[in-house]
Amino acid sequence: MHRPSPGKAAIRLAPVLGLLVLWEIAASTGIWPRQVLVPLEQVGATLFALGASGELERHLSASLYRLACGFLAGSLVGVSTGVAMALSRNVHRLLWPTFTCIRQVPTIAFIPLLILFFDVEDSFKIVIVSVASFFPSALATHDAVRDIPASHREVARLYRMPLAPFLARVILPATVPQVLTGLRLGLTRGWLSLVAAELLAADSGLGQMMEMGRQLFQIDVVLCGVIVAGLIGFLLDASMVRLERHLSRWRTAT
Amino acid sequence: MSLRLRSVSLALLFPALVLGWWEWESRQGAGHAYAFAPLEQVARSFVEMLLDGRLLLHAGASLQRALTALLIGGSIGIATGIAMGLWRPFDRTAGPIVTTMRQVPILGWLPLVALWFGNGDGAKLLLVSLSAFYPTVLNTQKGMQAVEGKLAEVGRLYGFTRLQSLRLIAWPSALPLIFTGISQALAFAWIATIGVELLFSATAGLGTEMMAAQVAARTDVVLVCVACVGVMGFALNQLFALLRARLLRWQPAPGN
Repeated sequence: MHRPSPGKAAIRLAPVLGLLVLWEIAASTGIWPRQVLVPLEQVGATLFALGASGELERHLSASLYRLACGFLAGSLVGVSTGVAMALSRNVHRLLWPTFTCIRQVPTIAFIPLLILFFDVEDSFKIVIVSVASFFPSALATHDAVRDIPASHREVARLYRMPLAPFLARVILPATVPQVLTGLRLGLTRGWLSLVAAELLAADSGLGQMMEMGRQLFQIDVVLCGVIVAGLIGFLLDASMVRLERHLSRWRTAT
Repeated sequence: MSLRLRSVSLALLFPALVLGWWEWESRQGAGHAYAFAPLEQVARSFVEMLLDGRLLLHAGASLQRALTALLIGGSIGIATGIAMGLWRPFDRTAGPIVTTMRQVPILGWLPLVALWFGNGDGAKLLLVSLSAFYPTVLNTQKGMQAVEGKLAEVGRLYGFTRLQSLRLIAWPSALPLIFTGISQALAFAWIATIGVELLFSATAGLGTEMMAAQVAARTDVVLVCVACVGVMGFALNQLFALLRARLLRWQPAPGN
């Protein structure tokens, strides 16, 4: 497996560091006031202070809890709906047209509607994440199961395989990579929608921390939020990619 | 024939059940009618918004915002992607910066942009353009890299200048991926437009109208806007697919 060496990774990150140095120089010239172009050491100090006081942990754990609940619920329902739509012609006829219609609406457009139904409590944010992760996982699962060669299904039918082992031993291994790609997309979209929902209405969470920072004109706090939001997004995606590679190892292995 | 009838009736059964349940909920007293607007009222609001031009005004404002941002972000993205494809040092410099910035969810930039640039139309346009920039720059760069070796060799054989090989070889062979980038950018720009309008109040726009309707507890208006966002997103996507098929008819269809 190809994996970049630490040295190469450092070279690749050099331009980003260069940009940060430019930032620092621009901040020290004082062309813009320090409150607007915050020097990096102040951002670092704020990040450290937020971490030490436990405030960051409080916001982050609120966000991650919502993300985890919403993602689990949304992808569980999504994967099962996808399997059902792909295996049963009647379920497909029943759900597919509606599914295709609703899929056209961007998840964040459901925010006002969901606020009306669930109020601006925790449940609303969990629901928005699950809506965001439902559609990609259902679609990817449906496509993956539909693409399984008919011969696989025929063999299973010949052996009169019951549904549970059929799902576990035929459907699951044949669809792992595609389904995981769908789950990964769902997780990314869930994170995006959650940050948007928290910016709009929340009493805690990373988005709320940034929104408070904006209202109090604390650019350093906002920047900390941007950095942490980016880092979480990156880590979520990277761990899903690793999981994908790990679980589909046997496919490429010769 | 009866099979067709069966699939149509099954397709209609699910929405009919949902709508029936909705209507039933809306008749369970005033508390319920608050969230579950009666269907008749949703239809009435739709006609009303259509006739007084409100729907057209907001939809037009959102569409204009999305397309302007697509034009700005998309053209900067394509130009950057071409430059990255042509000049390796630039690729190595700009590539990591774009990749790093892309990790931040697009609406996560919003508080920062609001503090730096205010919450006027310019700030909104900046964010939506950024959402259109990422897919175009990434796909253009990939397309420029994927020029077939034998084509590049033919170019060398003919002694093409850099400009000639860009115009005659790299550009046409990168074009399908550039179009893929633009179509993704179109979808992202539409989503980002609705997002910024939800979060920053604008003078007009579907997102702003939805948010105002939510505050006023007008589920009927929210529903009309949601449907409008979905239909417009779908239509934009289809129109672009037609345009792409027409402009790239000399190319094999995408996915082949």
